[in-house]
Amino acid sequence: MFDQETLSVFLDELEEKIQVISDNLLVLEREGGDAQALQEIFRAAHTVKGSSAIMGFEDMSNLTHEMENLLDLLRRGELEVTPQVVDTLFEALDVLKALRDCILDPSREAPEIGPVVAKLRGFREARPLTSPASRPAGGTKAGLTEAEEATIYEAQIRGFQAYHIKVTVAEDCQMKGVRAFLVFRTLEPLGEIIKATPPVEELEEGEYERSFELIFLTKEDPGRLRHLLLTVSEIVEVEVTPVTLEQRPAEHREVAATREEKRPAAASPTGLAPTKTVRVDVQKLDELMNLVGELVINRTRLDRIVEIFEQRYGSDDLVEVLEEVSNHLGQLTNELQEQIMKARMLPVGQLFNRFPRMVRDLAHKLGKEINFVVEGKETELDRNVIEVIGDPLIHLLRNAVDHGIEPPEEREALGKPRVGTIRLKAYHQENHIVIEVEDDGRGIDAERVRQKAVSLGLVDPETASRLTEEELYNFIFQPGFSTASQVTDLSGRGVGMDVVRKQIEQINGTVEVSSRPGQGTKFSIKLPLTLAIIRALMVSVEGQTYAFPLTSVLETLKVSREEVRRVKDMEVVPVRGSVLPLFSLAELFGGQPRSIPHLYVVVVNLGGGKRAGLVVDELLGEQEIVIKSLGEYLGRIPGIAGATILGDGRVALILDVRGLVQPKSCRLEAKCLEEELAAVG
Amino acid sequence: MPEEKHEEQLVVFRLADQTYGVDVGSVVEIIRMESVTKVPRAPEFVEGVINLRGRIIPVIDLRRRFGLPLKEPDRSTRIVIVEMGGMTVGMIVDAVLEVLRIPTDKIEPPPAVVSGIDVAYLRGIALWQEDMIILLDLEKVLYEHEKEALAEADISSLEGRAV
Repeated sequence: MFDQETLSVFLDELEEKIQVISDNLLVLEREGGDAQALQEIFRAAHTVKGSSAIMGFEDMSNLTHEMENLLDLLRRGELEVTPQVVDTLFEALDVLKALRDCILDPSREAPEIGPVVAKLRGFREARPLTSPASRPAGGTKAGLTEAEEATIYEAQIRGFQAYHIKVTVAEDCQMKGVRAFLVFRTLEPLGEIIKATPPVEELEEGEYERSFELIFLTKEDPGRLRHLLLTVSEIVEVEVTPVTLEQRPAEHREVAATREEKRPAAASPTGLAPTKTVRVDVQKLDELMNLVGELVINRTRLDRIVEIFEQRYGSDDLVEVLEEVSNHLGQLTNELQEQIMKARMLPVGQLFNRFPRMVRDLAHKLGKEINFVVEGKETELDRNVIEVIGDPLIHLLRNAVDHGIEPPEEREALGKPRVGTIRLKAYHQENHIVIEVEDDGRGIDAERVRQKAVSLGLVDPETASRLTEEELYNFIFQPGFSTASQVTDLSGRGVGMDVVRKQIEQINGTVEVSSRPGQGTKFSIKLPLTLAIIRALMVSVEGQTYAFPLTSVLETLKVSREEVRRVKDMEVVPVRGSVLPLFSLAELFGGQPRSIPHLYVVVVNLGGGKRAGLVVDELLGEQEIVIKSLGEYLGRIPGIAGATILGDGRVALILDVRGLVQPKSCRLEAKCLEEELAAVG
Repeated sequence: MPEEKHEEQLVVFRLADQTYGVDVGSVVEIIRMESVTKVPRAPEFVEGVINLRGRIIPVIDLRRRFGLPLKEPDRSTRIVIVEMGGMTVGMIVDAVLEVLRIPTDKIEPPPAVVSGIDVAYLRGIALWQEDMIILLDLEKVLYEHEKEALAEADISSLEGRAV
């Protein structure tokens, strides 16, 4: 059997090819018989056929073989690309995926490939008779089909040469079947027979005239082949001629090159960025990252020692050398860290590519017409981040299709284009990645959200009437705000939104919503570039260092005692016309209240325009930190997101601002406070 | 069992004038006391976390855990790093004495009453050269009542907020 590594390489490749097929089927559906798309699918199916056969996944190999046959006809124009054909190919793709799932989880029930194979065949058999029934045996290039040519080309890349071998047996040969069999046996250890005319079974039965032909892939010398075959008795003549592929179709070049993974940039026919790659287990990257983290810490320690030496021994030669070494080591470490971080990055397209099909299927099912636009596929994110945001994005997209975009008739009646647009977009913004899901659907009805919030007791009617739309929209992230029965009432923007937010916050991201009734809704997800390393604002409280993830920090303030007011047990400070509630980090962590003339305040974003000021003893500045978990033993502690190791080897805790301060009470009270403050003057 | 020669290897340490032992197999290493970062809102007996060559390891104060009087760390204070159920935890002890081999037949079940610590944490008592070594049941030391402690911590933090 194959070892785990071989299997995982196979699965990776399979995943890739499934994606290619899926993407290009969507193109086919949209644009009809697009030649490029057909080639891509053909190529992908062909590759899967080959590798699954090697791995012994027979069903998969048979299925893709049938797909390949049908696609071959399509791309040669012998069969027309009809919606039925595309649907059947989609169906075949689903079976292919199911087969893959079975490999991943052998306890699953294997899907039947019979029905879909029959359908695929059906198209071939039903094709108009005007097309050539079959290629003449001695046709172009030794009667090779394009699939065979592709195989040959790939083999050539691997250093094999294809030979056309014609074997003639003696006129009075009694055991032609045996002779043919012996020919095969002679050749088999030396390479691969990819084609036999007549077919192998017939040859071994002796069902041929005096000669038969083979296409053979080998690294052997043709002279030796000939010589070897002539040693088989009753073989009287052997002709070995190299097979040359006159014109290498572009797609073959790419298939082969991708497999070899050393395709030069200029040779790329599709204009996609070619890459030299090796596949590496993510765990290895994680380990590397940990090691680099330790290296960073030790480098900092070395810096300290250099300082001490300088003080103690002044300008000693050895101290200077030590300093130089330490500096160099520092640079190297930084570079290493950067490179490993980059190695963990994947284009977000890996994830986005899954969505067009999903949106298509959903739109079909719901009778919506949707133009799904994906932008910024090449934007890179840490692969752990990509893993986490998959679910939330599916949620948001489903909501957009289901509840955002109106049915076509309704859109027309509203004077909107019949086809709705959903835009999924990723882009860089400073040290973050922003992903937006935007639709031009009906938007969120702020009024209904207001009513719902009041009826659920999340806010009193008085306060609710004064909330801005932005603040109202944020209620949709409240757990239990919208249940299935309310979905239609509220244009459904509440289904599992609390889960969406929770998942995104787990990786130090934030999600915001904006909407215009009748014009659409936009969700913006802001994510750190990587999970392993974030930029943080370091502060000190009671002699300990804490880190605020920069994603949640809005600004820092220095406030004098006199500015602070006390309203309703809560300390607040007016900032540019609005009221900022203050919380002492020391007190939140069980310390005693102290009065200091000047307060350093970190203004944090609690989401949805809600802010809070956290009072700290000292601001220490910004820094990149490596995130580490506190471990299972301590579990999740509210307000603490994890820990990091500082330059001096000590541990600093990373804060989770939403866990520190209860955002709900904070916001609502701030509203009341504002009024009271206004009353006080 | 009678004929077979069984012995246990113990890491023996001192805590408030009493001698304790834990199975050497669960001890990963012993390090000097170092600066421990306090973790607010963690259970009370958790002293904090330390950096053990790049890993964040929680450290518990055994004196606090056993309800013994607290003591400032000194030169002999050590952190015994143990592994239990896949988790690594440090335990602060007054001093580590030695690694001992003790025949199994010298180990007795815990008596009903032992001065100082809760019997629930004990695995047995070993009498060794006029010394009494209390064998700790690490699993219980690390996990028993931890949930309660967490719950209490929650309540107290809530109370703090209410006031």
